[in-house]
Amino acid sequence: MTSMPPPPPAFSAVAREVQAVMPTAVDAGKSITVSGFKITTRKLPILNAQEIDAMTEKLGIAPPEMIFGNNIVSIEKVGADGGAVAENPWKIEFNALDALDLVDKTGNDMLKVAYSSAWQKQREKMHEGIKEVVKPFDWTYSTNYQGSITPGAKPFEPTEDQIPLDKLRRQDPILFFDDVMLYEDELADNGMSILSVKIRVMPARLLLLARFYMRLDDVVFRIRDTRVFVEFAEGLVLREYQEREDSYDNVRQKIPPYRDDIPAIMRDPNQMAEYLPLRSVTVEKVVL
Amino acid sequence: MPGLPVDLDACIERLYKRELLAEPVIEAICAKTKELLMRESNVVHILSPVTVVGDIHGQFYDLLEIFRIGGFCPDTNYLFLGDYVDRGLFSVETISLLVCLKLRYPNRVHLIRGNHESRGVTQSYGFYTECARKYGSANVWHHFTDMFDFLTLSVVINNDIFCVHGGLSPSIHSIDQIKIIDRFREIPHEGPMADLVWSDPDAERDEFALSPRGAGYTFGAQVVKKFLEINNFSHILRAHQLCQEGYQVLYDDRLSTVWSAPNYCYRCGNLASVLEVDDAGSRFFNVFDQAPENADNRVDQQPIEKQQVEYFL
Repeated sequence: MTSMPPPPPAFSAVAREVQAVMPTAVDAGKSITVSGFKITTRKLPILNAQEIDAMTEKLGIAPPEMIFGNNIVSIEKVGADGGAVAENPWKIEFNALDALDLVDKTGNDMLKVAYSSAWQKQREKMHEGIKEVVKPFDWTYSTNYQGSITPGAKPFEPTEDQIPLDKLRRQDPILFFDDVMLYEDELADNGMSILSVKIRVMPARLLLLARFYMRLDDVVFRIRDTRVFVEFAEGLVLREYQEREDSYDNVRQKIPPYRDDIPAIMRDPNQMAEYLPLRSVTVEKVVL
Repeated sequence: MPGLPVDLDACIERLYKRELLAEPVIEAICAKTKELLMRESNVVHILSPVTVVGDIHGQFYDLLEIFRIGGFCPDTNYLFLGDYVDRGLFSVETISLLVCLKLRYPNRVHLIRGNHESRGVTQSYGFYTECARKYGSANVWHHFTDMFDFLTLSVVINNDIFCVHGGLSPSIHSIDQIKIIDRFREIPHEGPMADLVWSDPDAERDEFALSPRGAGYTFGAQVVKKFLEINNFSHILRAHQLCQEGYQVLYDDRLSTVWSAPNYCYRCGNLASVLEVDDAGSRFFNVFDQAPENADNRVDQQPIEKQQVEYFL
């Protein structure tokens, strides 16, 4: 006996209208100008096949599987009219191409997945003929990218100054906020690698955080943070770069085992940062 | 379905409305699905017309969009190429619906195993967390992942188009070598079963090459040509790789990638497609954008879309 198939569901027309008023994940760009600084963000779709080919050629390595090559976050010094300053132009921009250009392309810093040696052994028995390795590079896409600065702009200098966290802890109104992905890769199911940039602009200052997070299962955890702080009235720009890293086993021991959402925690760099020891930190400064 | 103590049509109706099934129902359905899948070969032969679907990754509303565009079951025959779960917000609803449709229309719906249909991978990439959150325990995750061990590895359409989740393996020249794989297990790290769900084409190359990761292969133009010749096929159809256009055709039309999760992870901005193979065996990519309900759901799903401001330090 055959019964009738269930009827196709009815869909509300309301849902279709919602899209028109909701912001989408992708936008063509937005900006704000505050006290002589113009902040711009742009979120576009991942690169298409043609753009990926062009980027592969430029970089000499295959880009990550989710490559937001047209996304940017930038901070630019502008004149009173909001236009570019004629003298001493200064701009810092974060984009995927420049970040990926700093990934090791020699294969010297290569990590291997946890089961690599077992896999190789098994493989050698069966397929001795296959010797060609796709050009070795750091496929975890680890980068020490700290932003791209206009060529010829006034350079950063080392400083003892610190980013004033007390000022940033205050709940000043946020005039502009964005969270922009530059790239992401699942390391072929062996963990994750992600570079994203967050920015918040308050009336007197701004903070940008470019965070690279990488987890290679059973091998290593790695965080590389670049913070850019601008105090508008003083034209003061501080850039802090931090590296955090530890072995997978060490980090796992620090996560309280009673937490049952451990897989979710391990996907969240913000929660993982506290479990990774600080390896190095540098602060630089420029007054514009 | 004989011996199944649940009303499948009622389950399907509920799932279309994105309502969860009770845990005992999931358990019964997974048990029955195992029995059904156990009888399938590692290489299932089917005939067109059939609509082939790539990665979905828990993007439930986009699966409904596929049915709206391509036709509902059983009016349209479907072949799904794997990666039903992880990443998206509704992996449980997605796999529940697909399994119910498979049970209800076993000869009109075919499910291939993807690399995410595995215990290890789903613990890292979201399905485990989602099951625990929606059901309060990991039981449902166990039912589903035990069932995954029974999914077939490949399908051949019209004795002409070879369909697999990832790609080819240096251990496999003829499909007879797929038939002898012991597939009723967790996906291993190495060997032909891993390669089938894992490997990627590399258009720059002719032969197999090792991935720089230290495990896994890419396969080139000559490998594809030889495999098609030996098996007397004309085309390889696979999923597994995100592409902005929703599909990619390589090697002089000898291989296609079909990707069916539009705006992947609700932020990639990519298109998606399904591949329709008609009665005559001709292939047509039906390209589509994300379902309108995704925007609706973004409002209450902050973990994915952190659009509100945040006092990060």
